[in-house]
Amino acid sequence: MRNWRASSSHSDEGLAARTFDRPDAATAHDRMITIYLSNDTSARAAGADRLADAWSAAHDIRLVRTSTRGAFFLEPLVERDGPNGRLLWPRATPEDLPRIRNGVGGIEVAAVPFLAEQTRVVFAHFGEGEPLSLDQYRRHGGWRGLERAAALSPEAVIEDMKTSGLRGRGGAAFPVWQKWDIARRTAADRKYVVANADEGDAGTYCDRMIMEGEPFRLIEGMLICAKAIGADHGYTYCRWEYPAAAATMSAAIAETERVGLLNIDGRPVRLEVFRGAGSYVCGEETALLSSLEGGRGMVKVRPPYPAVAGLYGQPTVVSNVLTFGTATEILARGGAWHASLGTDRSKGTIALQLGGRIAQPGLVEIPFGATVREVLERFGGGMAEGARLKAVQVGGPLGSLFPESQLDMPLCFDAFNEAGAVLGHGGLVVFDDQTDMVDLARHYMTFTADESCGKCTPCRIGSVRARELLERIESGRGTTDDMALLSDLGETMKATSLCAHGGRAPFPVLTAIEHFPGEFTKRLGAPEHER
Amino acid sequence: MDQAELIAVLRDHQPTAERPANILRTLMAIEERFGHVPAAAIAPVARALGVPEADVAGVVSYYPDLHTKPHGRHILRLCLGEACVANGSSRLLADLKPRLRIGLGETTADGRLTIERVYCLGNCAVGPTVMVDDQLYGRVTDAQLASLIESFR
Repeated sequence: MRNWRASSSHSDEGLAARTFDRPDAATAHDRMITIYLSNDTSARAAGADRLADAWSAAHDIRLVRTSTRGAFFLEPLVERDGPNGRLLWPRATPEDLPRIRNGVGGIEVAAVPFLAEQTRVVFAHFGEGEPLSLDQYRRHGGWRGLERAAALSPEAVIEDMKTSGLRGRGGAAFPVWQKWDIARRTAADRKYVVANADEGDAGTYCDRMIMEGEPFRLIEGMLICAKAIGADHGYTYCRWEYPAAAATMSAAIAETERVGLLNIDGRPVRLEVFRGAGSYVCGEETALLSSLEGGRGMVKVRPPYPAVAGLYGQPTVVSNVLTFGTATEILARGGAWHASLGTDRSKGTIALQLGGRIAQPGLVEIPFGATVREVLERFGGGMAEGARLKAVQVGGPLGSLFPESQLDMPLCFDAFNEAGAVLGHGGLVVFDDQTDMVDLARHYMTFTADESCGKCTPCRIGSVRARELLERIESGRGTTDDMALLSDLGETMKATSLCAHGGRAPFPVLTAIEHFPGEFTKRLGAPEHER
Repeated sequence: MDQAELIAVLRDHQPTAERPANILRTLMAIEERFGHVPAAAIAPVARALGVPEADVAGVVSYYPDLHTKPHGRHILRLCLGEACVANGSSRLLADLKPRLRIGLGETTADGRLTIERVYCLGNCAVGPTVMVDDQLYGRVTDAQLASLIESFR
């Protein structure tokens, strides 16, 4: 655990730097050089556009904007073709162009442990291709799942999904085949496929990466589902905060239609992107459908489940972007292949998204079952420079906080379920020892209160009261009675809220109190009668 | 609010057999066109879509990204998702308010900048994150935020 205590060295030093001597170095300046640079939102936020602007006048450079490898700690990273695959130049600056042009100091992508040690399935070709090139998507194995599905009966597609053991990747972990099967069996004039792209859990970004990086993957997955349930309409409900993802998806849908691939069994399928307007609860499937119909994003009582009566009262499969993105691989490679990865009841790979005070934040796709600690050490590279670990939040704002002593939890649905925690959408946010747990707890409840849809009382009123209690404790005026009330309120919200927003929102707060009780009690003031 | 432009937006969102009335989509188009949803637009939207005014008003009040009043020439959104908070975004926000002499959701006196908070922009691996209009900035430091603010006039 040395890594956690001391500041870790910067990632670059751990990478084997190699020089690639170009055989045609003498003529390098006479020839066009292809340079790959990610066009992903986070790569751009890290400075990729600054490089593109700076190098736009270089006449010997052909700049290709690609998806991202998800190794965001290296962004902006620049790549070139090398003798053994791509070479990369991490954290590039505009001044690095001569080195890159001459092939000096490039690192083989295959030699970067963060990438090499992953088991990438969905994200296998991320960072290689241009997002809107159907040819490249096909070359990377795309469209094979759909082609196989087209040759199968709907029942056989669903049977393969059943064999795969795929559980929904949005957070609820419901068996995907069951949802599809219910929608298939429900007779209706019209059925819908809806991709839940309202990736609202703070600390998660893998859906955004898919939509921006391999939009055809989502389209392919939705078409496979359309085939299985008999739908001819589909929507991608994309959150407002993802403008680039929405634009790329729309362009990819138009391109698929242009080349005549937007159909199943010869029947046209209409896909459309619908943009949300900043509501977190719209990630809950019934709220999402209310919003998609144009109304307030209010949660509905289930049953009926959307697979029976969803959008406009019709059978609707609502699945997460990553779920559709994984279905393509299952159909292409067979359900048994998928079931061979992961643990007994958590099949396949998990897309973990590392963030916070960690040395190597980024996307990590590995089979289910590794422990939180292994992931943070092996892929995360330990803490950010100078930082010491305090807690790790797993599963977004509805997840739990884990102190250092609990990091040996295996990342799979059952272990988390037993511990009363959730994997959510796979976000791991690392907090350092500078974190004020009372302030963080107040932050969580402020979020819950801000985002409550207001349908049920425990969440609407409970979150506001809990926020007020935490504000009082933070200001030094809280009492032991307030602590008891907070705990009571949390338990009530857990037991009686209509959806996971209110039902899970107390978890980060209550786990903060459980693991760091001293921080709360030392903030309490004297009881009122003693003042 | 230019009436002719409102009428044009409403014409694009007229319900048809294939496309039922959609309040949110219509209001998003109005927000995009006018920068906010003026109160005077609620009745015409309700009439055009054939829905009660209360439903339209209810949708306006529900969504954070439908604004009821005009905002500044630029909107600066600071991410308060946990990954950004872990990297100090709440402190950036706390420093920003007195510097601009405004609170969240408010606009500077010169009408230049409105500041808002946002819960996660999916930029968690390169936070803290600031979004100005449609542009994202990652790994933002105090100094960068200060110069960023100056660069948007």
